[in-house]
Order: sequence, then structure tokens, then C-alpha cells
Amino acid sequence: MMSHIVTATIGAVLALAATTGSAGAQQTFPTKPVQLMVAYPAGGSTDIGARIVAAIAEKSLDQPIIVVNKGGAGGQVGWTEFVRQRPDGYYIGFINLPATNTVILDPDRKAIFTEKDFTPIINQVLDPGVIWVRADSPYKTVHDLIDAGKKSPNTIRTATTGILSDDHLAILMTEEAAPGAVFRLVHLEGGAAQFKEIMAGNIDVAFDNVGSIMTRVKSGEVRALAVLDDVRSKFLPDVATMKELGYPTVMSNSTRGIAGPKGMPEPIVSKLRDVLKKAMEDPEHVSKLENQGLAIKIMVGEEYAKYFADTHAKAKKYTEWAKSRPHR
Amino acid sequence: MDTFQHLLAGLTAATSLQNLGFALIGCFLGTLIGVLPGLGPAAGTAILIPLTFTLDPIGALIMLSAIYYGAMYGGTITSVLINVPGEAASVVTCFDGYQMAKQGRGGTALGIAAIGSFVGGIAATVALIVVAPPLARIALSFGPPEFFALMLVGLCLITGLAGQSLLTGLVMAVLGLLIAMVGIDPVRGAPRFTFGIPSLYDGVGFIPVVMGLFGIAEILLTVEAPYRQVIKTKLTSLLPSREEWRRSLGAIARGTGVGFFLGLIPGVGAIIPTFVAYVFEKRLSKTPEQFGHGAIEGVAAPETANNAYANAAMIPLLTLGIPSSPTIAVLMGAFIINGLTPGPFLFKERPDLVWAVIASFMVGNVILLILNLPFVGLWARLLRLPYQYVCVGTLLFCVIGAYSLQQSVFDVGVMIVCGVIGYGLRKIDLPLAPLVLGLILGPFIEKSLRTSLEMSGGDFSIFYTRPICLGLLLATVVVLVGSLLRPPPPEARESNA
Repeated sequence: MMSHIVTATIGAVLALAATTGSAGAQQTFPTKPVQLMVAYPAGGSTDIGARIVAAIAEKSLDQPIIVVNKGGAGGQVGWTEFVRQRPDGYYIGFINLPATNTVILDPDRKAIFTEKDFTPIINQVLDPGVIWVRADSPYKTVHDLIDAGKKSPNTIRTATTGILSDDHLAILMTEEAAPGAVFRLVHLEGGAAQFKEIMAGNIDVAFDNVGSIMTRVKSGEVRALAVLDDVRSKFLPDVATMKELGYPTVMSNSTRGIAGPKGMPEPIVSKLRDVLKKAMEDPEHVSKLENQGLAIKIMVGEEYAKYFADTHAKAKKYTEWAKSRPHR
Repeated sequence: MDTFQHLLAGLTAATSLQNLGFALIGCFLGTLIGVLPGLGPAAGTAILIPLTFTLDPIGALIMLSAIYYGAMYGGTITSVLINVPGEAASVVTCFDGYQMAKQGRGGTALGIAAIGSFVGGIAATVALIVVAPPLARIALSFGPPEFFALMLVGLCLITGLAGQSLLTGLVMAVLGLLIAMVGIDPVRGAPRFTFGIPSLYDGVGFIPVVMGLFGIAEILLTVEAPYRQVIKTKLTSLLPSREEWRRSLGAIARGTGVGFFLGLIPGVGAIIPTFVAYVFEKRLSKTPEQFGHGAIEGVAAPETANNAYANAAMIPLLTLGIPSSPTIAVLMGAFIINGLTPGPFLFKERPDLVWAVIASFMVGNVILLILNLPFVGLWARLLRLPYQYVCVGTLLFCVIGAYSLQQSVFDVGVMIVCGVIGYGLRKIDLPLAPLVLGLILGPFIEKSLRTSLEMSGGDFSIFYTRPICLGLLLATVVVLVGSLLRPPPPEARESNA
């Protein structure tokens, strides 16, 4: 915390020194440090990824990139602050799809921003969903699980990592793909809570992401039933995908990418995009992220904008279902 | 790894140069808090949390724990030398300690208190090492219903024991739970009691509230208190005579037992063990008429009990995640700020951290003995600091600390408002302990209640079909009925420790 203050102060001094000397605006961007907002506390996986890419990118940007953590309310606090910033390229931040989308889409959240308030720049990580159970669970395969969900609906205690998280939506996708199967939703606070309750036998099955459970699968403490993707995860090569298992519509993941506030001029967007893309392709970035079990998926321009729009549409459908489902 | 290996690893971590330094700083600051008028352990620990932000979690928790038991010790010095307890748990020490000082035996009183505290602290820590791992292992099988019931028992014990009456205790506990509900609903995500103020979306910060309720309020109360005369006593002969040793040994042993067992029960507070130990010694003594006139057992027993209690009270926190007093609640807040939730899961997942903290209790007790035996004269001189400077300095430190939590002026405002409220509540004699415990346990109680109901599909039978949960809920009823029938204790009202 103290070190943040110090870096922020140094940053402010540098900024002051820089602005007094500069006249041209966009041609010379950047002339002062760039702030990179993370809507989660320091130490989380978004924060770790942000610090790795910032440290590499600032070398070719010729200005410091300062990671600012604005955690709270599942990201809503950070994004509320983010959309109020000037779109001059000096304040950019991480968006976590579909978490950003569901905050916008959940009417109870009363978010002050919409999907139009963001200028997507580049995606960094795509962490696929995974279904996992205790190593001695009676559910050996996804089919066992779905059969049980059909046979005795609304009894299998199924953990999310929070309401309207990507894991919550993934359970709904599974129910949709296997009509008749109904799971009893238990919203826990993240992966550590899931692990505790599964091991104590209070929860039967958990939906999470590959990055947070990978090491426990490898150590044999838990068993992964399926990865919610169309290709196998390089971190769990022995685990089948839902597509292979005959449920091609159950595709869920959590992504982390960088965006600016709406209305950012194209020259600034492309400058940041080029710098960040170069940093994300750097071998140092690749190896550091893979050590965390995080799969890199670079998406820019039209591709990323389309991904944002598709994710939003998909999240909208399942958020509405989640809100109207009899057993929320 | 078994307990012994964990303990060895913990000792290695706790005795690294860096962590030894943190323990030393913590013990020093803690003793300072105990000695300086107007700041109890809860306030002191809360105020000093921002100091630890730059440290790694292990260093931060070692330092804060050291502040906690340092403050529990430091109160003795003021009790003996000016007949004013530096914190509530040293009230009993005044009875005979001050008399001893008046007879010119102040040094011996402080000496036996330091030795008794050391023995009590070390013995309680050894007992902790034996008791904690199996307790944590049992608690690991607890699910949300059991934790809900467990926290309910803890909160009710504190509510029942802290106040003048059960009613005032309950009012304050509910107030704490209500404040804890401010912010985004932890399960459904809807904002509650936020009035559209973004700063309230994450709730009212626990640390600024405690800094206000205890820190600011205690400063205000002390400003009103009359000036106190420091007794001039010889501090040369710190070690007791052979005869005094003989009389103290039994008192120290019994004080350790009393302090340890009462430390296991949440809500007892630091003050009750000292009273129990004192009364116990007086009953057993062949010369009860000497009590109140400088009997050395009357210092040795309560001071030992006090420190044994302080270390034993860490057991419910580390193994179950239940803080037994406001100061321990502040320590729990420090864990949470560092991204760690104390309880059986932490015990299993971060043995390195938990055992380093436990091992640091051993280290801390040695440091305290050294700080207090040869350097007691230094602390006595600190007592003569003019209070007007101390209070302005402390206020300034509070404001900077509250701001540095998350660079928010809002938190400073929360602290000041809570300071005024805390002052008012003290004036009308309402207990603060249930409020603070309700505030810190509120989110956990709510979360476990709602997760339990999600697990059962909304069926309340989950609370009475699981045997451990049912047992704990019955215990809650017993506690509430028991405290309803209990006559209000004459002196042992609220302890802030």
C-alpha cells in the first residue's frame, strides 16, 4: 500500500514535469505515466497478469505504467471509477468478461455504466471453465453428474464462485444443454471457499476456471470432469472438453483484457494496442503467465470488439434466466 | 508434517532477523500503549495497523500480535506506580501493587509481575501448541451451518458477558450486525443502506470504526480525567526475596491455569481471569488479611492470569475464526486486510504463517521479559510525559492512519463520527464489545446462514438435523438464558482487552 503511494507520488511528479514541456497532444502520446486500473484487489489473478504485462510494456512505451487496484463489489467499484475518466489514454483498465457484462446486466446492481462506456483495446487471458469434484466423488464423468441431476433434480449441491460469475452462467448452460437436469446452486466466495466445502463434503460439485484449480487437479486432490471449451486446455491435457462429450453449447470462460473509457481517439488506441501486443507476445510474459496456469489469448481490434459484443449477448440471456430461475 | 516440525519451521521464521525486529518493535509499541494513559490494547492495535501495511503478512501479524500482548503487559506499570490501570486487565494489580510501591517495594512488584507474565505466557503458548491442531482438525469438517451456529454462540457469549444486562448487550450486538450489513449484499449483489454513496458500496470499514470507538473515544475520556501523581519508588531491587519467591510460585502456577482456561471461552474478557485469580489466592492464603496491603501473591496471580489469558485467547481465533474480545477482533481485522481469514482452513492451508505467529508468542514473551526487567525505569519515566502532547500526537496518528487505509477521506470521517459515538456510549455505560464483535462477525454470520440455506434449498431443518450444529445452537440458548439469570457483576463490567 505504502509503495503504491510512493509510486503514485513519483508518477505525479514526473507527470507534472512532462506536461509543462509538451505541446502536441496525440502525436507525442504518452508524455506522462499511464495508469492501469484493476477492478480487483492486489494479489488476485487479474492483478498478477496486469503487473506482468505492465512491467514489460512500459519499457517500449517510454513511460511508467502504474497498476492501480480499485477492488470491491465484484469489480463494480473499479469500473464505476473507470468510466468517469478522460479518454486520453492515460487511464486504461482491465475488463473481465463476462463479469463486467453481468454487473451491467443485473438490474439490482444499478450500475452507472453500460457496455458502450468501454473502448476495448486488447485481450490478454482466456481462462476456460472447468467442472470438478472431490477425488473420491461418485461422479466419475460429466454424464454421471448430469444423470444424477436429472434423476433427483435440485439436490446436487453445486458451487459457483459468486452470483452471476462466469461459473454461475456455466451451470445454467449445462442445465440448458441437458434438459431435465437441475442443480442446487450455492454461491461461494471464490475458489478457496469451494475447495474447503468440497473437501469437507458440504458441496458435491464445483464450477470454476482452469487457472485456479489446475495445481490441485495435478496433485490428485480433486478430479476435473470437463473443461468448458472446444479445445483441450494445455494445462489439463487429459481432461475432456464439453464439446467432445457432446455438449458443444456449454462454452464458458473468464477473460481479462484492457480497455479505455469510451471515445478514445484511434491514434492513441493503436499506439497502446501495439505496445501491449508486443509485450504480451514477449517470451517473459508468456512463461510468467503460464506458470500461473493462465492461457494467453490475444485479441485486438474487430475481433476483440466482436468478442465483447458476443459475450454481452450471451451473458444477457443467462443473466435474465438466472434472475427468473425459481431456485436462484 | 506433524506439530513439532511445524513449530520448528515457525520458530525458524519467527527468529529470522527481520521478524525478530518486528516482534521487538511490536513489544515496544505495545508496552508504550499500555504505559501511556488513555489507550487500551484494542485502540492501540487498531491505530497501529496502518504501520504494518508495507510488511509481508507474516511480519505484519507478528508485529500486531506483539503489540497486543505488549499492551496487555504495559498496563501493569501504571497500576503499580500511579494506581491507575493502564488497561482494564490491570485493575486488580492496583490493589496490592500500588501498596507495595508505597512501601518502597515497587521494583519487586514490577519484577514479579514480569516473571509471572512470562511464565503464564509461555505456559499458555505451549498449551496452545498442543490444543490448537486437533481443534482445528475437528473444525475443518464444519460446514456453513456449523460455522453459523458457532459464531452465534461466540457472539451471544460476548453479548451475555460484556454488558450490565443482556438487553444492552443485545442492542449493541444488533447495532454491530446492522452496520456490518451496509454495502453490497455478499450473496445477491444488491446495494444495501448505501444511499447512493459509492464509498459505502464496500461497507463501513472495520478498522476506522474501531479506531474511532476505542482510540478517539479513549483520548476524549482521558482528557477529562484528573492529573495523576507518579509515585517515587525505588526500582533498584527488582528480584523478589527468597520468602517472596516461595509465596509467589503457587500463585503463578494457579494464575496460569485460571488464565488459560478462561481464555478459551469467548467473551470472558481479560478482566475476569485477573479477578478470579486474585480471589482464588486470597481464599487459599494463610494470611488473607495481607491482601490489599501489599501481598505479593496479589500481584503475581492476576498478572500471570492476565498474560496466560492473552495467549490462550488466540486459540479460538486461530482454530475457529472466533475473536473472543475486541482486541482479538482487531487482530482478526488485520488478518482480513492481509487477505487471510483466520480459522481451521487457514490453519491447514497456511501452516507456515500460523505457526510463525504462534512461535512469535514465545519470542515475544522473552522480549517482554527483557524489556520489562532491566528497562522498567525507562517506562516509569515515560509516565511523566505531559498528557497534552501525548493526546495531540495520538490524534494526529489516528487521522493519518485512517487515511492511509485506502487513501480515503471518507474513512477519516467514519473514524471521527465513531469516536464521538464511542465517547457517548461510554458515558451512558453501554458495552462496546458486542458492537465490535457483531461488526466483524456480521459478514461471516450472514454468509454462512445464507450458504446453509442455499445448500438445503431453503429448508431450515439443516440447522437441527446436523448434530454438531444442533448442539451449538442449544448452547446458544443456554448462554442466553444463563446470562439472563446471572446477577450483574459488581466491578468486572467491560473489559476492552
